[in-house]
Amino acid sequence: MTRIPFFDIVRDAMRGAKRTQTDAVESKAGEAEETPRRRVMIVGNPNVGKSVLFNRLTGHYMVVSNYPGTTVEVARGRMRLGETLYEVVDTPGMYSLRPLSEEERVGRALILNEAADAVLHVADAKNLERMLPFTLQLIEAGLPVILVVNMMDEAERIGVKIDMEALQDAVGVPVVGTAVLSGRGLEELRNAIDEFIRSRTPAAVSV
Amino acid sequence: MSSFAPEHPLPFQYDAALEETLTDLTSLLSDSYRLTRRAVALLLLQEDPEILAMVREVEGERFAVIEERLKAARARTDQPLDVAISLQRHTTVRAVTERVVSHPPQTRPSPTEYLGRLCMSPLTGIPILMLVLWFGLYQFVGIFGGGTLVGLLEERLFGEIINPWMTARVESLIPWRWLSDLFVGEYGIWTLGITYAVALVFPIVGTFFLAFSVLEDTGYFPRLAMLIDRLFKRIGLNGKAVIPIVLGFGCDTMATIVTRILETRRERIIATFLLSLAIPCSAQIGLMTALLAGHPRAFMVWVGIMAGIFLIIGWLTAKLLPGEAARFTMEIPPLRLPSLSNIAVKTLARMQWYFLEVLPLFVIASIVIWIGQLTGLFDLVIRMLTPVVHLLGLPDKASEAFLFGFFRRDYGAAGLERIKEQLNVNQLLVSVVTLTIFLPCVAQFLMMKKERGMKMALMMAGFIFPFALIVGIVLNQLLKILPIKL
Repeated sequence: MTRIPFFDIVRDAMRGAKRTQTDAVESKAGEAEETPRRRVMIVGNPNVGKSVLFNRLTGHYMVVSNYPGTTVEVARGRMRLGETLYEVVDTPGMYSLRPLSEEERVGRALILNEAADAVLHVADAKNLERMLPFTLQLIEAGLPVILVVNMMDEAERIGVKIDMEALQDAVGVPVVGTAVLSGRGLEELRNAIDEFIRSRTPAAVSV
Repeated sequence: MSSFAPEHPLPFQYDAALEETLTDLTSLLSDSYRLTRRAVALLLLQEDPEILAMVREVEGERFAVIEERLKAARARTDQPLDVAISLQRHTTVRAVTERVVSHPPQTRPSPTEYLGRLCMSPLTGIPILMLVLWFGLYQFVGIFGGGTLVGLLEERLFGEIINPWMTARVESLIPWRWLSDLFVGEYGIWTLGITYAVALVFPIVGTFFLAFSVLEDTGYFPRLAMLIDRLFKRIGLNGKAVIPIVLGFGCDTMATIVTRILETRRERIIATFLLSLAIPCSAQIGLMTALLAGHPRAFMVWVGIMAGIFLIIGWLTAKLLPGEAARFTMEIPPLRLPSLSNIAVKTLARMQWYFLEVLPLFVIASIVIWIGQLTGLFDLVIRMLTPVVHLLGLPDKASEAFLFGFFRRDYGAAGLERIKEQLNVNQLLVSVVTLTIFLPCVAQFLMMKKERGMKMALMMAGFIFPFALIVGIVLNQLLKILPIKL
């Protein structure tokens, strides 16, 4: 999918402003007794499919923009894997851990202030070279990173091939290839998150 | 706080000098950060102000030593440390991607790729933009939507059939003139509000949104953004500002929210200012074009003046703004043939959005005017505006349009449409230019207040309205003195 929802970005920004309230209401109505015990944070450059992934994981509908830099506000949703309820946080687009814009500052503040059991770094498969420096920084920072190489379909279409095993060996964290718009790789990603968290010592989450 | 963050075995290393500095720094840092000490040290070396403040607070007295080491490390290198760090990261990454990623052999660009590039290069992109404006906007929206369709709907259907019937019915039902005026008077809910919305705005905004959706679906807009970005850099503006500006052609109010993506307060102020001053939103572009339809030279002068104001104000503000280009990348999707279903869905969604926003406003305006007329307030305001309108070389009747224009530019344009026949082309141009510079709408002002604060919003509005009138007056005088008859 390569269409540019030119107006959607606008609507997205508007919804972003209202999203927090809606979420609060929904969580009250939906899962009144249960609080999530784990947290997954979605990070990455603008325009790599973070918000689509967020929607797919949480089933929480949100219009997704295709323009860089528009997930201005933070979206929160819930996801269940097996018996565990997760909070999923969609962060604003970030290029690196060293923030330059207000949005990036928000993103880093989230990373700094909220412990996550898994940090999904969503990267554009067409442009790995531009994406990986941020992966390195996240790993360097000791965060529980899973690298999500998204838009595999688009990369394949233009003839880019990625050796996922070799990539996983090189970065030393789990790597999952996805095309979230079409749903490809989502099941694998869910399993990877589940397995990843099981394999690690439990983190204390205070939601 | 530091329940996780074990020191990972890193898949990469920096050069020896940097590693030494890092080892030194990490040994000085306490273990009380959410990030690893190594990451904190790197951010310190990159002069991250927030991290500096955080470390200063956490480490207390020991911060002096750390600060000293940082200074020493900076003195040791001839390259700024943040540059050195990101270059080394890049080298590491390139080593990985060279092994892991294989790219297809370079092929010659396809014809569509070639066309896409032509859209982005200033030399060919600007003429292409002109063609798009001419055929997509002027011919389709202006001549067809604003001329043919409005003619059919407003003059024939509403003007000759529906409204006379409606007026007769209402007047026979309500014998009091003062009350029936609310519905079918000169500014009645039906005769002004509904008629404007359905017969005038609907065909114009509809054709505009249709043209807009077609262009959007072909992938033209990201290329236009790239083109404008290149022009921006010429005048020294931050390239990222192009996003809210291009969005402003859709809706200025929402684009004002999007200025949040800009890095500094100053840039946000400039973008907000340019948006409310020189960027007409979609509905306004449609209606303004419709007003100038049939007068191609006036249309071109309008486009020229708006582009000129934008560039001059942009350049002036860029002069005030220290020029630092932000990192700005944009994915450019391939050009492709638009899909009919996409276009239909988007066009309908936009028209629905506009209608829901505008129809209630038109109805409310009718009621407000009705009350204003009953109390005599309306005539008073019109009388106050009349001298200003005269300065613009316009007839008395235009005051109403300008009064409407204070609330929404497109509403003002619709008001002008009503008196179009009484204006010559020069007058039409002067009024359209003046109205375009007005604040887009009340909602825009409220958003400016919310995003930039009341003081800033008032300052901007305080500049924009007089500026609009001055430009209009100067234009009117120029046309008279030169003398030009468009």
